[in-house]
Amino acid sequence: MNRQEIFEKLKEIAELTVQDPSILASMCEDSDLAADLGLSSVGMLYIVIAIEEMFNIRMDDVSFGDFRTVRDVMDYIEQKLKA
Amino acid sequence: MFEQYTDPQTFAKIVDWPSVTAMWRNSVSVYAQNLAVEDGETAFTYAQLDARVAAMRGALKAQGIERGDRVGVFALNGCGFVVSYLAIVTSGACAALLPPQLDGMTVAGLSRMFGLKALVVDAALRAKLPDPMPVVCIGTDCEGEPAEAVEVQPEDPCVIMFTGGTTGRSKGALLSNRAVMTGTKYGCYGIKNVFEQRYFLVLPLTHVFGLIRNLMSCLYTGSALHICRNNKDMFREIAMFRPTVWVVVPALAEMALNLSRQFKRNMLGDSMKTVICGAAPVAPYLVREYHKLGIDLFPGYGLTESANLVSGNPDNLNRPESVGLPYPGQELKIVDGELWLKGPNMMDGYVGNPQENAAAFEDGWFKTGDLARFDADGFLYITGRIKEIIVLSNGENVSPAEIEVRFNELETVQDSLVYAENDALTLEVVPRNAVLMQLQKEDPIAYLREQIYEVNRTLPTYQRVSKVVVRDTDFKRSPSMKILRNQK
Repeated sequence: MNRQEIFEKLKEIAELTVQDPSILASMCEDSDLAADLGLSSVGMLYIVIAIEEMFNIRMDDVSFGDFRTVRDVMDYIEQKLKA
Repeated sequence: MFEQYTDPQTFAKIVDWPSVTAMWRNSVSVYAQNLAVEDGETAFTYAQLDARVAAMRGALKAQGIERGDRVGVFALNGCGFVVSYLAIVTSGACAALLPPQLDGMTVAGLSRMFGLKALVVDAALRAKLPDPMPVVCIGTDCEGEPAEAVEVQPEDPCVIMFTGGTTGRSKGALLSNRAVMTGTKYGCYGIKNVFEQRYFLVLPLTHVFGLIRNLMSCLYTGSALHICRNNKDMFREIAMFRPTVWVVVPALAEMALNLSRQFKRNMLGDSMKTVICGAAPVAPYLVREYHKLGIDLFPGYGLTESANLVSGNPDNLNRPESVGLPYPGQELKIVDGELWLKGPNMMDGYVGNPQENAAAFEDGWFKTGDLARFDADGFLYITGRIKEIIVLSNGENVSPAEIEVRFNELETVQDSLVYAENDALTLEVVPRNAVLMQLQKEDPIAYLREQIYEVNRTLPTYQRVSKVVVRDTDFKRSPSMKILRNQK
């Protein structure tokens, strides 16, 4: 899976948890998960569960609170998929 | 009133127990070989759990713990918490349940304030605590020579629970054995299948919804409890454990629905039949959507101070906005619109807080601070909070929650908040994106505003909002997911 595909899948996940459609439209790798995407604690939990399900990976070795941007999440997923 | 919603055999089994000790003895005797609790690492049948609890009682006894003492529990959700809690209360002592997210200095302070004789601590949390602690610490894995359970009276203190709340400081509510067992019994009413079920815990055991409606309900009914220790794993564990009952706050119930939509399958599995939803207002949307999945979602109402449950809604599809019928024995009255409570489930008071107690009680009645009404059939509706009443300069008193519930009926609105600004009402909404996306409108926000406008037109003039803000982030919330009105 290439990086663009990872991003598209993350956007798919974000569609059901990010409140404002215009925020989704402007979502990019630099987007800050809390400040730009406005994710609440339940929103963050949703993202983690959906990522594990979507990419068939386990995020047991990291806390989602450690990720600041969409890029951080994508780097992690890329690394997990290569392992 | 609940008899009509329960089969006669089940109803006859819903009995009073004077204490946790008495209830536990009965459950061990009747359900000995049933699974009681598991947490992914450890699993106990009722008989095995009883033996482990007896060994922990022995450890407590060796530390000089006696009937009437107070012992803290500072532990994460898990079998260790359950063993510690049961050992303390069946030793005749009172368990002060300290939320695991508290910092060490606060725990030390509370140990002094509550006069704890000992603190049972999870190994994972020990490093948080200052050294030395003002009280002796025992590990949740401690064992001693098995000690007998101690008989107690119904009025003997059982637990000290922290209140959440959206305003004010946290307080410790003291619940007697009678209160805890009444709150536990209440959870059996209005549900078709009550005994020997499979419960799935995602809520903290330091919250009454987790302790009483999850754990105590299980132990009372010979049910099995799976404790999920990391909520990100909940659906994987649900698939393995196949629970029949989920006790959950509305935000998590909605999350499960959205994930089911995302992955085009029922993430809760085909074994799940009942969702008990509370601790925050439950949108009628959730009742309807869960019904489509073949799951009954029952809203309810209660407080820490009432040992969790006051009412439950067995008529959820016809009256989804109601918090249901008051449970048998629960006394209620409405004074100037405010709900007052009395009954065997009520707390004794806030520990070490005479000022708060004086404010909270009047002639033996507990003043909830919630605004409520009944319909003609005795169903209860919570219409707001007294402290949240807006008084406009024209003299009108407006309950924001009463207005919010009308906008929350829209499927396109996830949550809303009404407040006063420049002597007029402003509405802020969080859109329900999942539904808006499905509608495929050219301008979803304009469509949403149109829907809000239509609802607004139907309200009495003094309740109509003048300004609408569509948020792009959720509201700030308390740990139990209530909107923090003052901080939004």
